[in-house]
Amino acid sequence: MTDVRVVGVGMTDFGVHEQPLPELFADAAFEAFDDAGVEGADVDAFYLGNAMGGQTERDTHLAPTLATHIGIAGVPCQRYEDACATSSNAFKHAVRAVEAGDHDVVLVGGVERCTPVTGLDTPEMTSVFASAAHRQYEQPTGLTFPGVFGLLTTRHMHEYGTTEEDLAAVAVKNHRHGTLNPRAQFGKEISVDDVLEGPVVASPFRLMDCCPFSDGAAAVVVTSDELAETFDGEPVGVSGIGHATDVIPLADKADLTATRSARDAASEAYEAAGIGPDELDVVEVHDCFTGAEVLAIEALDLVEDGEGGRAAVEGTTALEGRIPVNPSGGLKAKGHPIGATGVAQLVELTEQLRGDAGRRQVEGAERALAHNLGGDAATTVVTILEGMA
Amino acid sequence: MSATSDDDRANEVLTHAEWAAALADGELLGQRCSDCGHETAAPKAACARCGSRSLETVSLPTEGVVYSETTVAVAPAGFEGGYRVAVIDLGEARVLARLEGDAGIGDSVEFVGPLEDGEEPAPLFA
Repeated sequence: MTDVRVVGVGMTDFGVHEQPLPELFADAAFEAFDDAGVEGADVDAFYLGNAMGGQTERDTHLAPTLATHIGIAGVPCQRYEDACATSSNAFKHAVRAVEAGDHDVVLVGGVERCTPVTGLDTPEMTSVFASAAHRQYEQPTGLTFPGVFGLLTTRHMHEYGTTEEDLAAVAVKNHRHGTLNPRAQFGKEISVDDVLEGPVVASPFRLMDCCPFSDGAAAVVVTSDELAETFDGEPVGVSGIGHATDVIPLADKADLTATRSARDAASEAYEAAGIGPDELDVVEVHDCFTGAEVLAIEALDLVEDGEGGRAAVEGTTALEGRIPVNPSGGLKAKGHPIGATGVAQLVELTEQLRGDAGRRQVEGAERALAHNLGGDAATTVVTILEGMA
Repeated sequence: MSATSDDDRANEVLTHAEWAAALADGELLGQRCSDCGHETAAPKAACARCGSRSLETVSLPTEGVVYSETTVAVAPAGFEGGYRVAVIDLGEARVLARLEGDAGIGDSVEFVGPLEDGEEPAPLFA
């Protein structure tokens, strides 16, 4: 089977963008093209992640629209929607297509706008996000996504003694990392007290436990190992992808703290890559809320079950710690434009593996993992990348 | 797929409309899988654990224990923030519900009927 390489990466700053989706996406896509040294005419296919454009922008059938805007109309285009795991699933399918020999050079991208520039205020956008919960058996209770992770995290606190201070330490760490990332939405350090003094969004989460509403786009170019040599961008290998799902609604999950799909996806990815968690140098996880990072690092077996709450407090997951988690600032500080998030994690990790991550560089990083979770952890895609140098 | 399970299926597929109508009448319905015994408060066309289509409609217990809870302060459009949502353990099944009062994880609560301030029915426990 063909080995697959990432040869070009690009992303916009995450934050507030007035541009319409095609213009926003073009900024990321052309950065990836230029990094790879490809022209539109070289691209065989386009895999897009956009989760909510139909609800937020009254804009669907986006893949050929965006392809046309960037000069690649005519190639096969497909758009993925898996809540927050949207664009890592697009990436998975692009990788599979190259592995299978269906396409040689593929653009994978994600784009989303979630800030008030969409014309939607906080209650309206909260309602759009909540549409990823079960329509009949969850939405009528008024459950929100902070509430979903509030339920999972409250149970973790009950079972393992995780505290609000433990959660706050995750926010403090990721904000600190975010100050080292010029593309991050938040560039300011915060303290545990800042987090604990904030207003509650959904208990146990206060405002600074939650990622922001964000606009942004990210893109990568993937190709075969043979063709990778012909492009300019320093290649990074795709050594394993795992993709798993769990039941919806969340009341039917066997275990609220396990994030079962993440464990299953991680097992698949570790096996495909032929490595274990101890061999990773850097990790990006889906920290939509501080509690989500705690659950994620346990599910990935970076720490023992029940010890996730202490990891940020003890510095285990800091940039200079045993296993750096979210050097980009994560969703928490970098931002979370839903459909762009999965690919943006891969942009960060590609830069880390190339040694191009500037002040947030994890020294000597050779193996990296991205954990991108959708909905109430009903979807998780785990991707392992490897440096080629 | 045997003829027997096809017959069972024809008799026993609890719909959302039936579940919601029962909830409005103060009864919480669910399903039990005839093959693996899994129970759910969210009716489906097949068992979420084993995939069996042999499901029987059951009346769920009205007493349960709080399994997890959250207080939603920032609410979606159409809701007024400051309410509690909880996963209630009913023994074999768990259900997502609105929760009134200050019960925490492990505390006993009781089904009191349908939530009245939402546009669509949801179970209310207290």
